[in-house]
Amino acid sequence: MTDAKLTHFAEDMKPPRERPWFFSILIHAALIAASIVMLYPLLWMLSGSIKDQNEIFGTASLIPSQFDFSSYARGWFGGQVTFGKFVWNSAVIAVLSVIGNVISCSLAAYAFARLNFWGKNFWFALMLGTLMLPYHVTLIPQYILFLKLGWVKTMLPLVAPKFLAVDAFFIFLMVQFFRGIPRELDEAAMMDGCSPWRIYWRIMLPLSLPVLATAAIFSFIWTWDDFFGPLIYLSDINTYTVQLGLRSFVDSTGSSDWSSLFAMSSLSLIPVFLIFLFFQRLLIDGIATAGLKR
Amino acid sequence: MRVETAYKAPSAFARNAPGYLFLLPWFIGFFGLTLGPAIASLYLSFTDYNLLQSPNLVSMENYVRIATADDKFLSSMKVTLFYVVCSVPLKLAFALLVALLLNRGIKGLPVYRAIFYLPSLLGSSVAIAVLWRQIFDADGIVNTLLWYAFGINGPSWISNPDYSLYTLIILAIWQFGSPMIIFLAGLRQIPTDLYEAASLDGASKARIFFKITLPLLTPVIFFNAVVQTIDAFKAFTPAYVISSGTGGPIDSTLFYTLYLYQEAFGYFRMGYASALAWILVIIIAIFTAFSFLSARYWVHYDD
Repeated sequence: MTDAKLTHFAEDMKPPRERPWFFSILIHAALIAASIVMLYPLLWMLSGSIKDQNEIFGTASLIPSQFDFSSYARGWFGGQVTFGKFVWNSAVIAVLSVIGNVISCSLAAYAFARLNFWGKNFWFALMLGTLMLPYHVTLIPQYILFLKLGWVKTMLPLVAPKFLAVDAFFIFLMVQFFRGIPRELDEAAMMDGCSPWRIYWRIMLPLSLPVLATAAIFSFIWTWDDFFGPLIYLSDINTYTVQLGLRSFVDSTGSSDWSSLFAMSSLSLIPVFLIFLFFQRLLIDGIATAGLKR
Repeated sequence: MRVETAYKAPSAFARNAPGYLFLLPWFIGFFGLTLGPAIASLYLSFTDYNLLQSPNLVSMENYVRIATADDKFLSSMKVTLFYVVCSVPLKLAFALLVALLLNRGIKGLPVYRAIFYLPSLLGSSVAIAVLWRQIFDADGIVNTLLWYAFGINGPSWISNPDYSLYTLIILAIWQFGSPMIIFLAGLRQIPTDLYEAASLDGASKARIFFKITLPLLTPVIFFNAVVQTIDAFKAFTPAYVISSGTGGPIDSTLFYTLYLYQEAFGYFRMGYASALAWILVIIIAIFTAFSFLSARYWVHYDD
């Protein structure tokens, strides 16, 4: 792997080493068995969503005796607010978070990776320090701050911080990537009289699409899955996100309508699952790089 | 011909301004949402602030109560430590084992890797916690399988305080995918000529593993261990959803973060909860510092 770059690993191209055939079969058998264990709970949920109520429990089979999709309609329209509202709220928060994180973190990362200014190393160390800081320390004063601003019960506390580069992980990831872009490029541009802003906008960002996409995707998934933030800041059911909606759905349906609970749970996972399906490479490279470049 | 434009050294302002302009959003975030609140939280931890009345300084009272007269602090800390100590090593062991299996130039690697990574990606969502609650329900799938396979009548895992925490530990282990990917990338970085040299020398597989693979992988093991430990200390959603926000049955799943949440947003004891938050920070810091100190003895950096 070249330094500080989200290169695609060559692992898929590597030809299998010579080894006895029975050994290969043994490894595959172990991996397939493990795969089944990994996937079974998810498939059980999915099949539960189209099973008859009585059939969900008491049978290990994943295939329903009859396919019944009515649970999806029951779940979607079942509460006092339709699930569509929750999906919309989550989507708005997640998309705004993506935009905020990508803009604010790339600005900071560009400064740390390329510009020289007084105190840079000091600020960079502080930024890295915030990576380790558990959010519990800032949680309560932040809540009080947003309460005083009158932002509690709106989505602002969930979105505004994302425009202020609060997630140091993304800055760190981008700094690593920016450092891998040849310096000659922006030095040449600087000779031609390019301002730092133009270099950032016209050279760094276009060359950094892979890392920006990685940050955007993780940002989306983490915001979509976030339960704690909405739990604290949102109390009106009309502003609920999917995660909160699902939780209140669990409480309100109690132990009556399992298949519609499973239906809504399955639906809530779809965006993350689709992103995973399409951007697997970026996600895996992103997480691997973050782990190796310290 | 002389070049007319004489070089003019840029002023200090011109040299520093762009950097600070680019960092402006981060500065606002850092001072307004991280450093400022952290200082405020430290101050609040010495007060009795409850959101309604202005805070009164109570000196060390919160900390003294936590240390001497708070059963829930003790029990939630025990639950959390048990969760960390059980889930992290097992999770890392699975991650390493599967990464080693996958690193053998196996066919279908992308498919396996995807399957093992998927649960970690979905892991923090409410749907997975809901699913887990149903899986370990009295008539859930785990007990159904136990009945078919061994004729055992399984307990009601979630509502039995003896077992409820284990279901959360199993959930954490199920999500071994992201450390696994980091292990895989780490294994890729071990130079193959080391292996070739060792096998030419006739070293056994076990010897190669313990003398080459494992030592060269220690930086990655260390990174995964630190990150996973911090994450485990911060776990919240599964315990909240599975216990319906109570941490029950009888506080068996009352994670530290859940207790902190109850104090802050259930009873609005903001001062007390701030003190709890700082204790958590100190404990995480001690764990991290200890890891870094111990790293000297077992982590090998090639330099």
